Amino acid sequence: MRAENYQQINHPPSHAFELNFGPNHPGIEGNYALQVQVEGDTVVQARADGGYLHRGFEKLMEQRLWIQNIALVPRICVPDPSPMEVCYSMAVEQIAGIEVPERAQWIRVMQLELSRIAAHLFTFGGHAATTGMYSPMFWGVADRDLILDLFEEFTGGRIYSIYNLPGGVRRELPEGFLQRVTDTLDYIESRLPDYDDLFFKNRVFIKRAKGVGVTEQAMALEYGVTGPNLRAAGLPFDVRRDDPYLVYEQLEFEVPTEEAGDAWARTLVRRSELIESIRIVRQVVAALPDIGGPLRTPIPNPLAWRVPAGESYARVESSKGELAYYVVSDGSEKPWRVHVRGPSSMHAVQVLEELVKGGRIEDVAQTMFSLDACPPEVDR
Amino acid sequence: MSDYNDEGSLLRPLRALSFLGRPAVTEPLEPRLAAEGYRGFHLNEHAECVGCSSCQKICDNAAITMVEVPELPNDEAKGIRNLRPAVDYGRCCWCALCVDICPTGSLSLSKEYVHTCTQEEIDSYFMLPNETGMHGTFYGKGWQKTETSDLLDLQRQEMGERPAELRVDNFDEIVDGFTPEQAMAEASRCVQCGMCHDACPTGMDAPEYIRSIYEGDLEQAVRWIYQSNPFSHVCGRVCTHRCEDACSIGVRGTPLAIRWLKRYAMDGVSHQRIQEITQEQRAAESTGHTVAVVGAGPAGLTTAWDLARKGHKVVVYESRQQPGGMPRYGIPEYRLPYEMLDRDIETITAMGVEIRCGEEVGKQVTMEQLQQEYDAVVLAIGLHLGRSTRIPGSDHAHVRSAVELLRQVTEEGTIEVPEEVVVIGGGNVAMDIARTVARLQRQQWGGVKTVVTALEAEENFLADPAEIREAAEEGVTICPSRGPQECVVEAGQLQSLRTWGVCSIFDQQGRFAPHYDEGDEQCHPAGMVIEAIGQMSNADQLLGDMLTERLEWDRGRLQVCENGRTSETWLWAAGDCVNGPDVVHAVADGHRVATSIDEVLRGALKHA
Amino acid sequence: MNMDAFTPWLDALCGRIDGMVVACSDLAQRRSRIDLPSEELTTLLEAAKGEMGFVHLSAISCVDWIEEGEFELVYHLWSYEQNQLLSIHIRVARDLGRFQSVYDLYRPAGFFERDIHEMYGLYFEGAPDMEKFILTEWNGPPPMRKDFDSEAFVGETFDWQQYNPEWLQEIVAAGGGVVVPPTEQRFSQRKKVDGPDWSGDHPQAKRGQE
Repeated sequence: MRAENYQQINHPPSHAFELNFGPNHPGIEGNYALQVQVEGDTVVQARADGGYLHRGFEKLMEQRLWIQNIALVPRICVPDPSPMEVCYSMAVEQIAGIEVPERAQWIRVMQLELSRIAAHLFTFGGHAATTGMYSPMFWGVADRDLILDLFEEFTGGRIYSIYNLPGGVRRELPEGFLQRVTDTLDYIESRLPDYDDLFFKNRVFIKRAKGVGVTEQAMALEYGVTGPNLRAAGLPFDVRRDDPYLVYEQLEFEVPTEEAGDAWARTLVRRSELIESIRIVRQVVAALPDIGGPLRTPIPNPLAWRVPAGESYARVESSKGELAYYVVSDGSEKPWRVHVRGPSSMHAVQVLEELVKGGRIEDVAQTMFSLDACPPEVDR
Repeated sequence: MSDYNDEGSLLRPLRALSFLGRPAVTEPLEPRLAAEGYRGFHLNEHAECVGCSSCQKICDNAAITMVEVPELPNDEAKGIRNLRPAVDYGRCCWCALCVDICPTGSLSLSKEYVHTCTQEEIDSYFMLPNETGMHGTFYGKGWQKTETSDLLDLQRQEMGERPAELRVDNFDEIVDGFTPEQAMAEASRCVQCGMCHDACPTGMDAPEYIRSIYEGDLEQAVRWIYQSNPFSHVCGRVCTHRCEDACSIGVRGTPLAIRWLKRYAMDGVSHQRIQEITQEQRAAESTGHTVAVVGAGPAGLTTAWDLARKGHKVVVYESRQQPGGMPRYGIPEYRLPYEMLDRDIETITAMGVEIRCGEEVGKQVTMEQLQQEYDAVVLAIGLHLGRSTRIPGSDHAHVRSAVELLRQVTEEGTIEVPEEVVVIGGGNVAMDIARTVARLQRQQWGGVKTVVTALEAEENFLADPAEIREAAEEGVTICPSRGPQECVVEAGQLQSLRTWGVCSIFDQQGRFAPHYDEGDEQCHPAGMVIEAIGQMSNADQLLGDMLTERLEWDRGRLQVCENGRTSETWLWAAGDCVNGPDVVHAVADGHRVATSIDEVLRGALKHA
Repeated sequence: MNMDAFTPWLDALCGRIDGMVVACSDLAQRRSRIDLPSEELTTLLEAAKGEMGFVHLSAISCVDWIEEGEFELVYHLWSYEQNQLLSIHIRVARDLGRFQSVYDLYRPAGFFERDIHEMYGLYFEGAPDMEKFILTEWNGPPPMRKDFDSEAFVGETFDWQQYNPEWLQEIVAAGGGVVVPPTEQRFSQRKKVDGPDWSGDHPQAKRGQE
């Protein structure tokens, strides 16, 4: 909101101050704002204010040819773009009745899990920074870059892979790529003790994070919280396991949980998840050499492709939680409707408003980062 | 699950101090090259790009502008435009869909990461990609089209056709035509570049009718087709399809079967409905002007069609018993069933065109009479006389001209053929007569002994490759690079054709001057020799001496202005007799002449 | 809970709720679709949540069927007990512009209904907060409605960046230049051509004269 359009929150006379937390603030993930009312150090009320990253993606998608949207969707979530293109592709494939070749499904899993590792490293860094620790932040961002190097190599883009098409993936893995994946995973695993020393087992972090922004399981369910935030409240639900897609049914992995539901628990769930993701990618790396076949089921000329009338609700587990695309086709060359259910639209609005209330001002940023709120998913 | 009671440690973070003793990570200052397959800035091989603008169509960021570069070649017939994509990097999102759709494969992306500039240099964001790329240095290609990423379907839908053994003894149509599924799949391959439209002499709206077929609206496709061609059934079967030579899908794959799609659309709508659709074009009121057309072939009838739908009264004089011209009397029925030609002609007469068959100008009626009775006269008499090689013995009664023989087959249904026949010529007419004779031989002798001799080497034959292949399948022997020397006649009986091997056909100036290897002599036994080396017209008797004298001629061809008008203000000429043989050219010519006549009649254009 | 209970429950529900249709139910794919008269929505949601554990409202999607004059609202429910996704489709008259909120049953509706109100102009009665959220400074029509032409809005509101680099100047001097600007060729935006123009002369004949 521009400054001239700012309106005061109506409240009775008090000692309260109003604080605009964002849209440009080091403690805000992306461009987003919280209008916070504080009394002393205590937050008494908070109101989320979105729209700074609204680019009308859903409207744009109705005006584009089916495959043109592939270039658009990764932009909906910068830290974790891969689930967007995979989920959109899956939704279109479901409507059009396209079978994805097995090799492409395995590669998609690898892409999704590498993206999850990168996203979690990014979030650790962000969370550390909000508790005043900047070295883990630099580490997180730098180690994430090694994953991005892998993305650059096999998808052609560091952030926006644009690697999927409805029907499969766009190109073969480069020569020797799987070895480099293994090397990078080895390195990241070897870094975990360093992260533990500096961050996860750091008493400063533990003291700061425990008891902050608690979502008990009942509340999490009531508010539609999903993903690591739900698992941090003790419910072992994961779309990959419970509504499986691609080849996740053939893979072995745990769905880690914590009980406390606070900032600490959420971050430790992500730490465990990162280890599980590494485990999954290793399984894919081991399996891929034996899985041949095509990478893509050909689709008709994209300038003329009409997806038959129908609808689908495709879901994937992104690093933030349950990501879903509701796609409706009226049988024409463009989607009639694409609704993006970004997981953050739950925990970055109503839940965030609720959690910071009653907390301290210095925990607002930490709460937001521990929830891994991704504003562009809310704004679309 | 983690231990909630773990308090952590204040000292553990100190372990990170050990990093102070480790060597620092340094990155070189030089620009780092991106990975193989990186999507950097655009590269475009200008020599390969044909300017089809498919890249622009797939780019929904509106990042691509097509720029005309005058120094580059521009050839409508070959399907090459001098347009090249220019990219606005303020809009590009580096998705590389342009690379993956590019029909020629000329586009790729570079391995460069960064371009940046100050506001004053903002123009540098708009560039015309070439072989070297954004910053003038070629760092190697990054993202390129691969077989997996290619978004185009390069393979044509195979048209079903009757195998050689089922077709050699009859004149049934060979091709099956597309099934709806095939037509849909074939139509979906089109990138709507319009190269076909530019290459077609009639300017056929092929992208539009292909689109309509794809949308399942065959009536709309028929509407588009009739926009530029009343011989739609004919052209859907025997057009020389220059459109397919220009098709940009054909650069790396097989071009769209544009002609077969037209056939499909025309066959998919009932004859009656086609007539109703075409009547939509008819002018509501008659103009009162009258036009006579001499010759009921494609050029004459197209002229008549255009003039009739604009409200003029048109009468077509045809010396033969049936209208149609070359499509009827020159093209064998296995390629064009007469029923289809009849449909086209019925559609034309339904527009109000009157055809008087058996009325030969110069006999039953004279040009002077036409000049007096009508406001304008069009000469569209075609080329119905065969040229002769004039080699010794070619005046023998069993040395025949291909066009005359084909006409005889049409008129009489069949003719008697000898057991051994030799054809001279390598064009489509030679193939038509050879394959016709082959069928008749099969019927009459039980086997095929037809030999085609041509000056050209096989790869340079003027006939369609498909014609040559099909002729060979049907048992015709093709003898390339043979120059005819003599029709050997003994005791009044034609014995054989004597030929020499051809060393070269043209001299260094490119003039026709065949050079033979006299040592390489062959005699092809023949009870009949058929000459198929070109056609001419004979207009003298038709025009009369006075008119022939007044008109301008160049080497036997009537001279006309660009609109088809002769030096006589009331007389126009169109079709093969002006342009040489080609059905689709004749149709185009008919449109041009009709437009000119219409303008003159309406007084819009005064003749100087 | 018994996994086999779902299908009988669905069948039984059809008897209890007027006009309810199970459009498809694929337990293996974990997807079922129910079409429902809009006035029965609350009844169904209460039953689904209370009897089959559909406690998770994954999303509410709105689809504008402008030609039918209706908004379609799709409630995507997930049951952690059944591991099934249930999509409930209802239609609301577009002109009416209001419908009842389900916030009392599902908190996430607070976000989705607010979003739909903002993007489609459909007001939800009983929702806690129908204030603007994303389009705080937008005073135009609800932009996700099919009759809002965002492309036209962008064309009227924003300018194209004008470039005139040296290479282009050279080409223009040589007689070339921009022939097809991107706006004319963008495939997704091209105008639907109704059919050929019968009036006037044959196009190619005209071209020959130019």
